[in-house]
Amino acid sequence: MKKTNPSFLNGIPELLVLRLLARREMYGYQIVEEIRTQTGEALSFGEGCIYPYLHYLEAEKQVSSRRREVEGRNRNYYKLTARGRKRLEVLTSEWNRVTTGVSQLREEQYV
Amino acid sequence: MSDFIEPLRRRLVELGCPLAQVRRLVQEVADHREDLKQAAMSEALSGADAEARANAQLGDPLVLAEHLMVVLRRSSWWGRHFVIGFGVLPILAVPVLWTLFLFLGLSLEFALGFGWDWKKLHVAADNPVAFHHLVLALHGADYVAIALVTLLFCWLARRSAVSLKWMVTSCAICSLYALITWGRIEPHSFTLGFTISLSMTQQWIRAAIPLLIAGAIYILRRRTTQRFHEKVAG
Repeated sequence: MKKTNPSFLNGIPELLVLRLLARREMYGYQIVEEIRTQTGEALSFGEGCIYPYLHYLEAEKQVSSRRREVEGRNRNYYKLTARGRKRLEVLTSEWNRVTTGVSQLREEQYV
Repeated sequence: MSDFIEPLRRRLVELGCPLAQVRRLVQEVADHREDLKQAAMSEALSGADAEARANAQLGDPLVLAEHLMVVLRRSSWWGRHFVIGFGVLPILAVPVLWTLFLFLGLSLEFALGFGWDWKKLHVAADNPVAFHHLVLALHGADYVAIALVTLLFCWLARRSAVSLKWMVTSCAICSLYALITWGRIEPHSFTLGFTISLSMTQQWIRAAIPLLIAGAIYILRRRTTQRFHEKVAG
């Protein structure tokens, strides 16, 4: 699957990160924790491995970052850009198409 | 802190991660580690235990550095397809890029020296002194074109954080092409071509340019890395 899909890591991490950042501005640790808890620990990023991925999204202008101090801690906060929002719409629609197709096939098997 | 962060930083530098990226990644991983530690302390763990748990969650810093580099490389086309990008593509692209840069250089020289006036160029071709200047201008544009093609691939290799051997591979291909391609100017004619004639000194000078660039980048990279380590240690 990896060979035939040119998008980075098949687009799933991209979808998850953009989805979370669509809600609010977040920093790396928060994103990793949210993915872990909200997917019932089914999906998780390796601790620390999220950062080059966020930098990639930033280079693609899908997210922007700024250093911010909150409660005495300085961290890099990431937020979704207009381009990221459009990308999220595309990825969500692709994902819905794939899951609908897979669901239909599975239902057919059990009929 | 340094027992985790320092080996991580060193390994990232060793793996050829651009220094700006190293600074940022190390800063963010340090923040992340602090967050893990705070979360552990909120579960009533002592400072030392919380730090140990944070380190355990992040894993071996050397392995983490390698994972970070894999993700970093995968985030660009050149990093994902480094064999095609730096081993195959230069074979196809170097002659095209060299020709393009050479013509751009010659056009610039023509514009600056003759104001796009073909008559002036033809007059210069018939004057031995002026013609000698034209030959020198061609050599200059040729050397600059070879250097630009090489620098382009070096820049792409650096930007995509691929290992040094792929940068050297693309430089070697540029050098090989420099050895067998040529541009010749005679009064009222200009030709480009391929030949395997290793007796010409000019061909060897051309071939040396990409290798000198590769060597210079290697030395520069080593010095910058050394200075970076010293600065962080100091």
